[in-house]
Amino acid sequence: MEDSQIYEYLPVLMLGALAVMFSFGILVGSVLLGKKGKRTPIKDTPYECGMLPVGEGTTRMSVKFYLVAMLFILFDIEVVFLYPWAAVYREMLRTDPGLILGAMVSFLAILFVGYIYALKKGAFDWH
Amino acid sequence: MNLLLLVHEWSVIALALALLLADLWLPLSSKRKLGYAAVAGLVVILLYGIIKPPPYGTTFGGMYVMDGLALFFKRFFISAAILVLLMSVEFADHIETGIAEYYALILFALSGMLFASSANDFSLLFVSLELITVTFYVLTSFQRARLASLEAGVKYLIIGALSTGFTVFGIALVYGLGKTLNFGQLAAVAGQFKSNPVFLFGLLLVLTGLGFKIAAFPFQIWAPDVYQGAPSPTTAFLAVGSKAAGFVLLLRVLFTAVPQIALEWSRLLIVISAITILYGNLCAIPQRNIKRLLGYSSIAHAGYMLLGISALSAAGQSAVLYYLSGYLVTVLGAFTVICIALQSRPAERDEGGPSHGGLDFNEDISSLAGLNQRSPLLAATITLALVSLAGIPPLAGFLGKFLLFKAALAQAPAQHAYYWLVAIAIAGVVISIYYYFGLIRAIYWSKDPADLSPIRTSIPIRISLCACIIGMLYLGIRPNLFVKFAADAIQKLTS
Repeated sequence: MEDSQIYEYLPVLMLGALAVMFSFGILVGSVLLGKKGKRTPIKDTPYECGMLPVGEGTTRMSVKFYLVAMLFILFDIEVVFLYPWAAVYREMLRTDPGLILGAMVSFLAILFVGYIYALKKGAFDWH
Repeated sequence: MNLLLLVHEWSVIALALALLLADLWLPLSSKRKLGYAAVAGLVVILLYGIIKPPPYGTTFGGMYVMDGLALFFKRFFISAAILVLLMSVEFADHIETGIAEYYALILFALSGMLFASSANDFSLLFVSLELITVTFYVLTSFQRARLASLEAGVKYLIIGALSTGFTVFGIALVYGLGKTLNFGQLAAVAGQFKSNPVFLFGLLLVLTGLGFKIAAFPFQIWAPDVYQGAPSPTTAFLAVGSKAAGFVLLLRVLFTAVPQIALEWSRLLIVISAITILYGNLCAIPQRNIKRLLGYSSIAHAGYMLLGISALSAAGQSAVLYYLSGYLVTVLGAFTVICIALQSRPAERDEGGPSHGGLDFNEDISSLAGLNQRSPLLAATITLALVSLAGIPPLAGFLGKFLLFKAALAQAPAQHAYYWLVAIAIAGVVISIYYYFGLIRAIYWSKDPADLSPIRTSIPIRISLCACIIGMLYLGIRPNLFVKFAADAIQKLTS
């Protein structure tokens, strides 16, 4: 059983080998076949629509963006969990009503405390 | 679904949420006192759980189990959190903002540990481990203005994420073959995968993840740096709570999920245990930073406890539980003293650490000089704690080591490697006496200590220190009660 499973991954392995061979081949080929011209610093700069691509490698972002992103993910996940919950709700109501309701109510309650916390701490104020 | 089974968990979570909400409306001056409220809440939860123990059983479709082992560890974790919270109230001056969040995060980590002690399923194992680890990422880097703390946080984050990756990958492999995540159901099928390399590899990866938690060789690399850089209460909680959570999960996985395979892994466990003991003890010798030294010593203690697990017997497992109880009072006593004694020193730059910000404490061993004149209670507590860690009778550490070695020796006639393991462990104990007594010498026999101003200790701290001293002495002199607790707790595990 294990053997057949491993053989199923053979195409993936072949693709991987091909990708490595191809990328190395292109690099080696361009060194071997390419014409050696005069190199100047201008020629070596990457082409960026005529602009000088010079600057900091990392630009500083305001921490506010991260805060918004985190809060977004938090409440996004809430919705992600609500959908499957709603889908199985009717079915599980028959077998285990306490669990299906209690689980979501406690989850929402914890998130609600988090919402109040973020609100009072001013996480939703942009300035 | 039985809510009574989860009484510890939901009450701790409710307490943490209440703390967060209370923080929003309280004036800044009284926020520090919230720690005492949290301690009071935990004491009530602990006592309620003792007076009215929750019924045994399983819930969440067999994911969550409440048995003797779970109950033992739940009480263990809550007691640890109480002592750590008392410590953090003293530490509050060094946390610039958000002391209430610090308390709440300790409680959230505690809830993860409570879930871990009841994990009977790989998914609950993973979720509870993550709840502990993610909370600790924040707790380790809580002193944002201090470089060492940030460095510890980043190191813990990277290594922690790596170990999580190992765990998840291992769980996926085990699930792929065993077709179940439940420990009980896995035990029924694990026997047929005894020689299946994919299954064994998956299991090994899960153990790797747990090895990071307990800081066993070769996954110990993060421990000294993180222990040194993190705020002292975090270090204490990391050394006791997080490590014990790793051990309870290790016990469950090895002896509930795959008992047949665990029987064949004695040699692996013996080797890991022996190297961990030697590594921890040898590397601790040259350390000058107290917290770093205790970091290495905690690696060595993980090795001693692995020795008990490698014995693969009920006696070994109950010895691990007993050792952990002694370890709790000993290490938390020592860290409480360090937390108080070091913060009353003027901040200086010390050498030998990874890197330092301007706000660093002097954590060199020499800063303990003259502690017995500055505060006899602090000096007595840390001395007893170090003597107990070194394993000298009549303290808790001695009896714990005695039980561990006895359990290993009982297995030795069948496999002679145990003789070697115990010999190495005894060599480790002898080495550890050297560096523990170096600390004690610094406390009592230092020449011209720089600072002899008395240290004021608050009443709650005095109570917690006395509790630690009584615990160390009680566990060492009258062990019968706790030996019985430990034996009862692992009863169901091995049956």
